[in-house]
Amino acid sequence: MYNFKTLSLALGAAVLLFASSCDKNDDTPEPAVSKLTTKTVNDLDNVATATTYFSLATGTQVTGADTASATKWDLKFKATSIFVNSGTSGTGTAQAQIVSSTFDSLTDAPTSGYKADATGAPAISGWYTYTATTEPQHAILPVPGKILVIKTADGKYAKVEILSYYKGNPSTTTATFADLTTRPASRYYTFRYAYQGDGTTSFK
Amino acid sequence: MKFFFPLIFISSVSTVAFAQQDTTRKDSAKQLKEVVVTGTRTAKSLQQVPIPITRITSEEIKKRGLVRLNEVLSEQTGINILDDPHGQGIQIQGFDPAYTLILIDGLPLIGRSTGILELSRITTNNIDRIEIVKGPTSSLYGSEAMAGVVNIITAEPAKGFSGGVAGRYGTNKNADFSLNSSYKTDKFYISGFGNRFSSGGYTLQPASGIPTVSPFSGYTLNGKTAYRFDDNNSLKLSVRYYTNDQDSRFAVEDNRFASGKGTEKDFNIAPVFTHRFSKKDVSVLQLYRSVYKTNSDIRYEDNNNVYDQTFFNQTFNRGEIQNDYAIQDNLKLTAGAGAQYETVEATRYTKQQSFTSGYGYFQADWLPVKKLDVIAGGRFDAHSVYKSQFSPKLAASYALSDKFTLLGSAGKGYKAPDFRQLYLNFTNAEVGYSVFGYEEAKAGVEKLQQSGQIESILIDPSTLKSLNAESSTAFNFGFRYRPVSKLYWTANLFRNNIRNLIETAAIAIKTNGQSVFSYFNLNKVFTQGVETDVTYQLFKPLQIGGGFQYLEAYDQDVLDQIKAGKVFTRDPETNITKVLKRSDYGGLLSRSKYTYNIRLNYNDDKTGINTSLRAIYRGRYGYKDTDGNGIVNRDDEYTNGYMLINASVSKLFMKDALRLQITAQNLFNHKDPQVILNLPGRLIYAGIAYNFNKQ
Repeated sequence: MYNFKTLSLALGAAVLLFASSCDKNDDTPEPAVSKLTTKTVNDLDNVATATTYFSLATGTQVTGADTASATKWDLKFKATSIFVNSGTSGTGTAQAQIVSSTFDSLTDAPTSGYKADATGAPAISGWYTYTATTEPQHAILPVPGKILVIKTADGKYAKVEILSYYKGNPSTTTATFADLTTRPASRYYTFRYAYQGDGTTSFK
Repeated sequence: MKFFFPLIFISSVSTVAFAQQDTTRKDSAKQLKEVVVTGTRTAKSLQQVPIPITRITSEEIKKRGLVRLNEVLSEQTGINILDDPHGQGIQIQGFDPAYTLILIDGLPLIGRSTGILELSRITTNNIDRIEIVKGPTSSLYGSEAMAGVVNIITAEPAKGFSGGVAGRYGTNKNADFSLNSSYKTDKFYISGFGNRFSSGGYTLQPASGIPTVSPFSGYTLNGKTAYRFDDNNSLKLSVRYYTNDQDSRFAVEDNRFASGKGTEKDFNIAPVFTHRFSKKDVSVLQLYRSVYKTNSDIRYEDNNNVYDQTFFNQTFNRGEIQNDYAIQDNLKLTAGAGAQYETVEATRYTKQQSFTSGYGYFQADWLPVKKLDVIAGGRFDAHSVYKSQFSPKLAASYALSDKFTLLGSAGKGYKAPDFRQLYLNFTNAEVGYSVFGYEEAKAGVEKLQQSGQIESILIDPSTLKSLNAESSTAFNFGFRYRPVSKLYWTANLFRNNIRNLIETAAIAIKTNGQSVFSYFNLNKVFTQGVETDVTYQLFKPLQIGGGFQYLEAYDQDVLDQIKAGKVFTRDPETNITKVLKRSDYGGLLSRSKYTYNIRLNYNDDKTGINTSLRAIYRGRYGYKDTDGNGIVNRDDEYTNGYMLINASVSKLFMKDALRLQITAQNLFNHKDPQVILNLPGRLIYAGIAYNFNKQ
């Protein structure tokens, strides 16, 4: 009898809790529909064009007259340097900072701390290491956990993880990669990014 | 091979009728009397001394066909030889080579331009034994004795007229020849020793055009003399001189070659006066001067322009007095005091620098009951440049029975900032970064600022805190067990907490985008593990043995960051960033978790044939960081573990006076040219040694 009593009490409490939590949900307004675009760009070619422009909003390479635009591109790749469309690099207002995180666990862009490109002080630096004479020799390897957070030329937020500087996003631990004669060509960027089109800092 | 003939000639002249004996052949009963001096700076029985200590006799070394200190130490349990380009040093309990003090007859060797003291500088042909103490002995020896002490004890002459020659020659034109003679009476002895060590060098990566080790030839000369005035007063003088010339030649660019000579010189002189006030009270006054110099001049071959010119000159002077007083049979006090004056002058230092320091130490060795031996002591070092250090120590051994002794110790060790960390003033001409020692940082940065080379200051040099010595607190706990005379088993658990490790960090950014670095007390690391070794006389001629070490060495700051989820790696296949797990962290570079060795020795008294076989395994260790997180974690950041097999066969002739020997090192020719620079592959040597003594 006693057991039955406690069980019914517990059940009753559970029902109440469930009901109240439902109420709460009903009170909160529906969140705005996220306009998050997540994409992986494979082998962005920085060989054919010495300077390669990229728009996070459209997810495409930018060429021709648009490369002089303040808003039509966000990132500019030139060998191992990555620039943003501002300051010494462009006419726009794009800014960036590097955040230590994995790509997935960075769910919100910081609200402050962004920098424009300036002489000798680019907004994005230290995203790679150069191995020099350590095997694999003379390789450019992206530093893990360096997420580039971009406040784009159109005032939106994006996060970018550079995956590879070599064609085909190869494993850098193989003998093929270590051997300079068989290593895939450099200056082919593979990166993934998430672009929040709704103007918020949320990457969810 | 031309060196052989005169040696054989000498030996054949002096063969006749001298009484022969192979000096240290001993029975097992004698082992109980084994005495060590390094652990306490007083003679003490090996079984009783309460800290981990290993004793290697000259006879064992000869049976293994080894002639240089690096060869001997590489086969010891719990010791790894590291193959830094600046030289071969030893790792004890997970410490880098700079943290082990190397002594000859209790006096420190100097000449660590980059922290490593090249062990092949030291011949083992004129020694009686090597004692290795593990754990900090800064309480007795001061700086550098943080991981341990290796003390090379040179041989005392036998009574009468003695002499000997020894030679070993083999692969890579490696040649080692020694000559010694001595004369001893009741009151007086004099002995002389000469050694020539040379090599044709070797090249692990011929395509690079740069030899891994360039040809060299070195000489060691050692003289000792002693005179006993009466029962209470005696004087001893030892002199050692070492010189080594190395010829370098390598490709620089576009078929251009650079070549030149590097010279290394080391000179030590040590007079020692001993006075006995009474049987219970003895004082020793010791003076020591050591000079170490290197000089290298490398030039382009085509136009004779300088490619690289460097020098490094260091002097070390010390006066020390020690008094040993036995208050009672069970209480011995040791006290000592000393003063030191050191200078250094080098290419990359602004001017000649000098240090003065003074120290005092004290030790009480007390046996409250027969089975318990307690040693308490401490040392205070006052220094002109860095902060004073106090290094206390407490150790005890307890004999549960005559066969089993427990030992435990706790103590502090320290290592003074080295000359680079204090005085370096260096700008890399090719890349453009600068490094300043702590003492040079302020002036160096100001000078760069005046010439407009500084973009931004990260840390104002005037706010830098005085560089402190690196220090450790260590705990050792173990046992020695000899259940029967045939079996000897030791084990030791250790833990070292190291603070204030000196590392470089950027203090300013130059206008060329490069950094200016200086030195800081930054990291906290710890090492811990267990070491065990066993020797067993299986049947009369056959002795087997083995040793094992398990080691963990971690950077505490990295562990904290991993815990906070701030350390990342990349998946080697997808290149996607992941958070690093604690279990993936491989610890400090060059530390093998597992090392072991197996030893066999077959000694046939009847035929005089001795066969020795050793297998030395070094488990995989991290040697680089390729995923850019600054630590070892991914499989491709490790070497493969490897085993070296060393063997030697010798036969004694002419009543043991003559030994002929074949020695092989790295019999199975293991090589790892990319990673391990000190493994030239299989080495085969032929050796001959002859000794005589006439009473």
